[in-house]
Amino acid sequence: MRYSPSFARSSGLIPTLVALAALALLPLVFDGNYLRHLLVLAFIFAIVASSWDLSLGYGGLFNFSHVALFAVGIYAYGLVAKTLGLSPWLGLVVAGGAAGLVAALITLPIMRLSGIYIILVTIAASQVLYQIVISQSQITGGTSGMVSLPGLELFGYRMSRDGKIGYYYLALAMLVASTILLYRITRSRWGRAIVAMRDHKYYAISRGMSETRTRLFTLTVSAAISGVAGGLYGSYMRVASPDNFGLGLLGLLLSMLLLGGAGTIWGPILAAFFVTIVSEALAEYGAWRNIIMSLLLIVILIFYPGGLWALLQTAREAFDVVRTQAIATLRRRSGKAAREALTGGQERIISTRHGRVAVADGGGNGPALLFIHGNSSAKEAFAEQFKAFRDRYRVISFDLPGHGVSDNADPEQDYSVEAFADVAEDVLQALGVTNPLVFGWSLGGYIAIELAARGYPIRALSVSGTPPLRVVPEDVGKAYDATSHFALASRRFLSPSEVRDFATSTTGPRDRATKHLHRAVMRTDGRARAYTLGKLQIVDWPRQMRFLRAAAVPFAILNGSKDPFLNHQYFRELKLTQWTGEPADVVGAGHAPFLTMPAAFNARLAAFLEAVEKGNSMSQTTDRPTIPE
Amino acid sequence: MTFDTLTLILLGGVVLGALYALMATGLALVWTTLGIFNFAHGTFIALGAYIAWQVASPEALGGGLLVGALVSVVGMFFIGMAVYYLLIKPFERSADIVVKSVITTLAGATILENLISIAWGPRNKQLSAVLTGDLQFFGLVMSRNEAAAVIVSLVILAALGIFLQRAPLGRAMRAVAQNREAAQLMGIDVVRLYAVAFGLSAALAAIAGVLIGSIRFMNPLMGSDPLMKALIVVIFGGIARFTGPIYAAFIVGLLEAFMTYAVGLYWSPTVLFAIMIVVLVVKPEGLFGKHRKSV
Repeated sequence: MRYSPSFARSSGLIPTLVALAALALLPLVFDGNYLRHLLVLAFIFAIVASSWDLSLGYGGLFNFSHVALFAVGIYAYGLVAKTLGLSPWLGLVVAGGAAGLVAALITLPIMRLSGIYIILVTIAASQVLYQIVISQSQITGGTSGMVSLPGLELFGYRMSRDGKIGYYYLALAMLVASTILLYRITRSRWGRAIVAMRDHKYYAISRGMSETRTRLFTLTVSAAISGVAGGLYGSYMRVASPDNFGLGLLGLLLSMLLLGGAGTIWGPILAAFFVTIVSEALAEYGAWRNIIMSLLLIVILIFYPGGLWALLQTAREAFDVVRTQAIATLRRRSGKAAREALTGGQERIISTRHGRVAVADGGGNGPALLFIHGNSSAKEAFAEQFKAFRDRYRVISFDLPGHGVSDNADPEQDYSVEAFADVAEDVLQALGVTNPLVFGWSLGGYIAIELAARGYPIRALSVSGTPPLRVVPEDVGKAYDATSHFALASRRFLSPSEVRDFATSTTGPRDRATKHLHRAVMRTDGRARAYTLGKLQIVDWPRQMRFLRAAAVPFAILNGSKDPFLNHQYFRELKLTQWTGEPADVVGAGHAPFLTMPAAFNARLAAFLEAVEKGNSMSQTTDRPTIPE
Repeated sequence: MTFDTLTLILLGGVVLGALYALMATGLALVWTTLGIFNFAHGTFIALGAYIAWQVASPEALGGGLLVGALVSVVGMFFIGMAVYYLLIKPFERSADIVVKSVITTLAGATILENLISIAWGPRNKQLSAVLTGDLQFFGLVMSRNEAAAVIVSLVILAALGIFLQRAPLGRAMRAVAQNREAAQLMGIDVVRLYAVAFGLSAALAAIAGVLIGSIRFMNPLMGSDPLMKALIVVIFGGIARFTGPIYAAFIVGLLEAFMTYAVGLYWSPTVLFAIMIVVLVVKPEGLFGKHRKSV
């Protein structure tokens, strides 16, 4: 199942709450009536544009009658509130219902059409609505429209009083309500059906979804939301004009949708504010305003097709790179003593082909033992191994580029398994180490295998949480358990709760032993995750597998038996030649056995290393002994 | 209904049909070749009329109607090509070109409309008539000007038909419409061809604009109503054949003329659009279409 966290756990929560608080407090700080008027319009247009996004962006249905349905809402409000003289609040409800009903009628002819034909029918339908309104002048006022519609009142308080403050909060509340509704729809069964219909209609139908029902639902719901917004607009402007059926308003709202980025809900809302305010700022230029707005729209569509939403993402990426680098720089200066205390080794900075990396060197004259950490972690993950093996080995570990206190690097060049193997080579060379024993954890395991497979002389190889792969991406699905937080491993941005989830899955709940690794996830350059895992396919996997099958170097897999990411059966089926002194899995340990169960893990690793020293690592092809759960 | 009313309706329908045929063929040309719908087509009509007026009118340059029309047609051809390169070409490889071209052509229409309004003002203008006086045959009376409009439309359409059937460029255009990739493999420069198709479509719009400007009044928004009618016509006729929209144009023209008589000026567009929706539902490929060209 696709990973999709609830909104409260996503990284959109904090910015949304901040923006909402700012908008809610704005009228208390600023008293400008004009700004308030603009924002009310922006709120209403944001509702219309984002509800349009449900059908056009998510559904891929080019429903061009959406704006006419907004106008239907305006007229329905006018008819109920003025002509029939009923409660204006009832007018809002009827506006939504009328727009939904008309949308359902429009859906009938486009049930089996696609692409441009839907555009044509819906535009024709808008014209029919327009012509009906024009021709029924005794009811609708014809071309001059309906004027002086009654406004909304709440317990006798006229919403338009006190600088329209009532409308401001009402429109804001309705925007929030419609956004919550749309967001929930997109995440519901219906939402998935809408997207599936857009992406692969016939597959979706073959899986039992009804195109008719999905279309009817999409168009009716989005129109009903738009219709209520129309009712609000009618009560606010107190005019129902047939111009609202025209191409002018259609163009304005469509520009919001496309400028914001279709298929995002948030983009159109953002663009509604942008377009409304820019359009009003140009109000005094008359005909030139329309020209400038249209030019702006064309230029943005040509040079920035993703729209404002993509611009926001770019800004966020740039900010995240600066943030992670700043953390790295800061920690490199201030936390060195604490890190050295953890490992007992000396920290130094080494320049490699892929930027400057931080290395912890335990020193001593023993054989070198290199530890390579995994995705979004840091060299201090191996603190317990530094302590346990320092007497017999020269324990070395380093922070991968973009991790720990190493510098961020160029994502294209420096964030891949192969580049990380280059870094390992450079570190070993700078330290003057030859023929090391190498242990790699998770992503670090692939780096270790890559280092060995490309012919770099090493004495022994051990990995943990690293299923050797034959074909990518096919084997990834077999070797990993998709129900874990594995999906987070390649995500560029992690929200605070995702950081917690990921760190907990990889290293365990936050406590004294793991807290620095939880912090390491926060620091990691998101591009390192996205690029490294994105580029997994270009690693020479067959070469790694040939190397492992050749069994020229002693090899051991030391997994935790409760590793949430792994499909343990996959290891058994690989039938690799490896050290089999005893069941190598650390019973009860998770993804990081060396961290959570250091004593048991160190004993296993020590046994393997001892076998290597004695030259009887007992390499033989064997079924991996199974661990009773 | 007297015989006189009937002939009046018939002749009115034929004139409307001829104008619709010109506009719809221009629209269909772009639709078939590029697979997009050009919402600036109505503004092309207005701009063509205004350019002709600028050259022809005694109030402006005073070059005479024929020169004005010629300048307008040639000018609009190049403006159409420019519009293609500026508004459509950048999205050629984009997956959602259909919806993006809707917004860019709408934006382009807004720009041109406002430029017209800035350059020539919003007040109504009129081109001088092509011919004056009335024409009488078989007891029918028709203004020479309207007769000229019908004949000019038919001649232009016939010429376009021959161009598409016989001329290498026209055949290439049909080839691209049928199968873009295959045509490209045969060495056809698709982008240039698209530009030419757009230019031709704009030139047809210019002719329509000149004819409308000489029969009715012109203002910056004069194209929006004909655009909607042309849309109906194209859907009625389908785009599978060149002649589809032409037959449909006359049917729609006559229908409109009769309907205006029967149900009144206000209701006739509603009925037309309703009929169009029915046609689209029952036979999306159009009344004269054989197979469906889906985009």
